[in-house]
Amino acid sequence: MAFVPIYIVILGFTIIVDYLAGICIEKSEGRKRKYFLIASLVANIGILCIFKYYNFINQNFSFLLHGFGLSNPIPYLSILLPIGLSFHTFQAMSYTIEVYRGNQKAERHFGIYALYVMFYPQLVAGPIERPQNLLHQFREKHHFSSDQVFEGLKIMTWGLFKKLVIADRLGIYINGAYNHLPQQNGMTLLLATIFFSFQIYCDFSGYSDIAIGAARVMGFNLMTNFRRPLFAKNTGEFWKRWHISLSTWFKDYLYFPMGGSKVPVPRWYFNLMIVFLISGLWHGANWTYIIWGGINGFYLIFAIATKKYRDKFNKLIGINKFPRLNLFLEISITFLLISFSRIFFRSKTVEDAITVMKKIITFKGSIFNDGTAIVIYSFMAIGFLLAVELKKEFYTGTFTLSNHKNFWVRNSYYSFLIIIIILLGVFDGGQFIYFQF
Amino acid sequence: MVINKIKYNLIKSFLFKLSACLLVVFIVDFMIGTLLKKYYFKQKYGYDAMTTYCIEKANAKMLVFGSSRAMDIFDPDIFEKKMGVSCYNVGRVGEPVFYHYAILQCVLKRYKPNMVILSFDAGNFSKNQDSYDRITALLPYYSDHPEIRTVVNLKGPYERLKLLSHIYPYNSLVLPIISGYSVQSKIKYMHNNGFIPLNKTFTGPLPTFDYSAEKEMDTVKINSYKAFIEQCIKSGIQLYIACPPYMINSIGTDQSIIIAKKIAKEYGINFFDYSRDSFFINKPGLFADFRHLNKTGAGLFCNMIIDRINQ
Repeated sequence: MAFVPIYIVILGFTIIVDYLAGICIEKSEGRKRKYFLIASLVANIGILCIFKYYNFINQNFSFLLHGFGLSNPIPYLSILLPIGLSFHTFQAMSYTIEVYRGNQKAERHFGIYALYVMFYPQLVAGPIERPQNLLHQFREKHHFSSDQVFEGLKIMTWGLFKKLVIADRLGIYINGAYNHLPQQNGMTLLLATIFFSFQIYCDFSGYSDIAIGAARVMGFNLMTNFRRPLFAKNTGEFWKRWHISLSTWFKDYLYFPMGGSKVPVPRWYFNLMIVFLISGLWHGANWTYIIWGGINGFYLIFAIATKKYRDKFNKLIGINKFPRLNLFLEISITFLLISFSRIFFRSKTVEDAITVMKKIITFKGSIFNDGTAIVIYSFMAIGFLLAVELKKEFYTGTFTLSNHKNFWVRNSYYSFLIIIIILLGVFDGGQFIYFQF
Repeated sequence: MVINKIKYNLIKSFLFKLSACLLVVFIVDFMIGTLLKKYYFKQKYGYDAMTTYCIEKANAKMLVFGSSRAMDIFDPDIFEKKMGVSCYNVGRVGEPVFYHYAILQCVLKRYKPNMVILSFDAGNFSKNQDSYDRITALLPYYSDHPEIRTVVNLKGPYERLKLLSHIYPYNSLVLPIISGYSVQSKIKYMHNNGFIPLNKTFTGPLPTFDYSAEKEMDTVKINSYKAFIEQCIKSGIQLYIACPPYMINSIGTDQSIIIAKKIAKEYGINFFDYSRDSFFINKPGLFADFRHLNKTGAGLFCNMIIDRINQ
């Protein structure tokens, strides 16, 4: 990761374009409104394409030409992907679309609009905010509130815990396994794949918590980005709990405009698949992400198409009579399906992903152990996470330490978290996974 | 006036709560940190105990520095028997050259060994974050050994700030400390003056390694390597640098070995390069894995090194 000052110009360019486009859309009538919206979208998507997808498209074009025995004359670009480009581009686009739809008044104050795009807590990895939620907060007067400051600090502490104690700890094992595939066996890669599901959740939701907490300290409320996705009962529900700001973005600005589910069934399935493929591409310019999106699209379509039969089957075997067992199985199957798709998300190439899958299927070998402490810490961290999330998911309103009425009990709980972070957190040069998107 | 008073009370209550939180954290941090320090330095077995021994107690005439390849290959018993000098193996898994330089500084503060062998590996000068993360092993010694601070500060710009915590130097060390008192560790580490022999034999297909691709070199590591040599020369220590053998003949030559040899030559230091030694190439029976000689291979190699030194 590097700081390249010139890249601020890119951000400045999209801010100016979208700021002007918003005002022009509001002032214009009829077709002109659409033209201004298109201009804004082209500018945003254009920048995204140049920086994120140009070399990928060119690479695939070369591959295609190579098949015909031709060479590609188009040169590759030697550019870095600006950090968080996909996030702030999507946030900027949501503004012009909402102004076009009449749900949001165009912002006349350039500074406030620029702040909406560049609000530092969520600039690099979201949550991808909507203008209706965030813009008006910049106009409101914010008074100092110790409750809000403490609330923000508490959210940040939990985010740091998830990032440093869980995600980065698991990352040590996962990197050891996935970065040395030829030396690893099926059991190791299976464990690494399951660990990766926890790692990516804690890494990304940890960042979101830090962003939401930092904003709360200053008196701003950002949208919830994760709602305990580990306890999703099916893949459809998973996407309502995971990266909510992106899922709802795609739902509002792509899925619904394509007709959503209010179209003939084949077209509905097509819409779903397109949304997931584009979501995959949003994550990265690599076939691994596109396949990952495709697999998740398939899961959803398959779940919808087979729901009737699955319900019948469940009735037949009588699993519904055991609601707790049923719930456990639903959550476990969803978790395993999502973890499987993430093999593509984590692998550097499609070939690597296939190697991982082939090895996992064999179930051979003993688990790679680069120091017992790493594995023990990893399981302890996952156990603690599950206990906390389980409590929040199924036992709300019961005894709580994090929100206990007594100040000293609350204080001790968060002091305990800080001490655990210092004691067991990983303080190396690790980065947030989603920064690369 | 009333509003100002309310505001004042709000801020007062906020500061009180914040101070209370921080106070609890500081007190618990101090207590746990002190406890960890006590048990860390009392460990008898394990890597940390070996590092502590070397920094605070070792007085061998000959020291061997290096990574796991040093630790698993250089057998002090053989050196003691054949050369008649006491020997201790300071090698530690994955540790880069600046770690060895820091340990050497600590040792020289106490006494001067007569001879030092620095074990060198392919890729030792390559740029990678992992080498800097491994400086963590020196954190417990930061407060009492000012000579290692420049090396510790290479880890990051905020290291000094982080070290205000009493727990931080022992970050992630709870389980290793417990294991430092275990019977298993006693069995694994009790003998051989820092040498941990590998008793298994490599089985499986021979891998291939390609060093022909250009890798970015780390000037900090190169400078630390030079500083290590200069320190030995300055202190009048007889220094030998050795690159133990690999099981396979790699494609291309490792850039780090080329640079290390050149620097050694400039300083007039012997560099024994066994990285492509025909005696060991394609002989899996002498190796535990493609990088590490097993006990049999290590014995043969140590004898070869002793012969070279005696020459």
